Amino acid sequence: MRSPERVTPFYFGAHPNLLFGCLHEPRSARQSDWAFVICQPVGHEYVASHRALRQLATRLSDAGYAVLRFDYFGCGDSHGDMEQASISQWLADVAAAIAEIRRRNGAKRVCLIGLRLGAALSMMSSATNDVDSLVLWDPVTVGTKYLSELRDLQAQMLQFRRKRKPTRDDDDTLDILGFPFTKELQSDLEQINLKAWKSLHRGDTLMVSTVGHSETSALTTCLAGVNARVECQQFDTFKVWLPTTDGSLPVPSQLLQSIVDWARKNCS
Amino acid sequence: MKEEAITFGGFTSLIGILTRPATDFTANRAPAVVLLNPGIVHRVGPGRIYVRIARTLASLGFPVVRFDFSGIGDSPVRNDHLPFEKSAIRETEALMDFVEAEHGISQFILMGGCSGARIALQTASLDSRVLGTIPINFPLTDEEDDSNPDLVARRMAHYYWTSAMHSAHSWIKLLKGDANYRNLVRAIWCRVRQHLRRSEVHSPESVQLIDNLQTLSARNRRTAFIYSSSDPRLGELREALGRRLKQLRRSGKVTLNVIPRTDHTFSSLEDQQLLLTAITEIVRAMSLPSEALGWHPAPARITSHKQPATC
Repeated sequence: MRSPERVTPFYFGAHPNLLFGCLHEPRSARQSDWAFVICQPVGHEYVASHRALRQLATRLSDAGYAVLRFDYFGCGDSHGDMEQASISQWLADVAAAIAEIRRRNGAKRVCLIGLRLGAALSMMSSATNDVDSLVLWDPVTVGTKYLSELRDLQAQMLQFRRKRKPTRDDDDTLDILGFPFTKELQSDLEQINLKAWKSLHRGDTLMVSTVGHSETSALTTCLAGVNARVECQQFDTFKVWLPTTDGSLPVPSQLLQSIVDWARKNCS
Repeated sequence: MKEEAITFGGFTSLIGILTRPATDFTANRAPAVVLLNPGIVHRVGPGRIYVRIARTLASLGFPVVRFDFSGIGDSPVRNDHLPFEKSAIRETEALMDFVEAEHGISQFILMGGCSGARIALQTASLDSRVLGTIPINFPLTDEEDDSNPDLVARRMAHYYWTSAMHSAHSWIKLLKGDANYRNLVRAIWCRVRQHLRRSEVHSPESVQLIDNLQTLSARNRRTAFIYSSSDPRLGELREALGRRLKQLRRSGKVTLNVIPRTDHTFSSLEDQQLLLTAITEIVRAMSLPSEALGWHPAPARITSHKQPATC
């Protein structure tokens, strides 16, 4: 009989910037040298994809891996407010998460799995941290495009609401479905362009894309240019980070299993 | 203010966050506030609003717990076959047992959005430790799909009357002949029928709701409904309770707070601020400042753009 799932919630990092994490212990008798850190999206994409990423962690744990899911500063259950957040803070958080899973699990090798902005942060983190492989799922590759998509989504979601009159208190903060993207954060995001990133990851990389996500092919070309070992998989499935009309939180089961299968093949 | 991760529950390890006030809340004897999952969204809530609510209330001296029901968020699934409506109540009571055992707090205020609102009310009617409930956008039924044509018509009518009617885009469509006239006629008929109906709807859900509210009222417990003005569930509540709603409100045990120009998930920063203001005032009113208890809530430091209407 299989051991029950063991998920440990905890806070880590340095006060006052404590981060919330959930560690999934490996459920297989065969312990791996590898551990996984899941770098989540932010804002409404974080809420919409939380269920799918939690199930991914469970599947990887079932396959014998330790997995850490964590919330960036100012997001989820971590300390701080998003108004105080920045890309450099979030990159430091990824580094802290990598260090934390090594400390708790003794893992010798770490794979970062990133979805959307989490994928961009994973890629950027791999330049300065000891990261052995990456899974990039529908990555944000160009920050200006990402911001434009957020603005379009906001306009679409609120098109049927009565418009409020702007007040003197309005600043340049972008309100995306209740998540504040400050002027400073927007400026940070505008600087992101993974295709021009100078320190591309050269290790094993799995590029996962849903049909219609056009940014992955350009990034794949860039990675191939630095002789990274890139495997691409495309799925005709819903975009798990987008809000649904009925409030459901669907899980792309085949896509998740494919990530686990790739891990079994490349992280052993 | 301090936040700590907690696990509790004998059957499964349910996961939550306890947000503690800076002061010794056990000595202060403030009731603990419990936030229940809004539908299947995990314990941070849409727009991270539950985190904001917890931190705001903790700054006023209330300990707050947000947790995930089994199978939602970070909590594992149950391995029995207990339906959600039953397991969620048990798990809420398990949380209260945990807080009582660990921190000596025996009074609670339950709050939740959508299905969390239903669980809050049902748990409160069964457990006398609950001082009050704050159901947010309480749904009379748990139907979310299109299987009930009457429900679909009522929700469509609500959308037309609260949103489309005020949208220039909608009027342009109407005048250009691009509107869905069939839906429009159904919406108008639905509205007329609501006005003509003199007595409340006697569905099993409405009977259960009235029963719960009367039980709580008899126990001197308060129920403070909060609704977004554009949420069709507001109309369903009014229709279900009919004149009983006025009677219950007159008793002072039930209030109905409608926050204008907000949607079901309070999906803007301004919406969130309005909700936060309403919740803060309700929690302070529900808690009993008493010399005997030796506790008074800290003064509110919330600024609001506009006050919600209390009916």
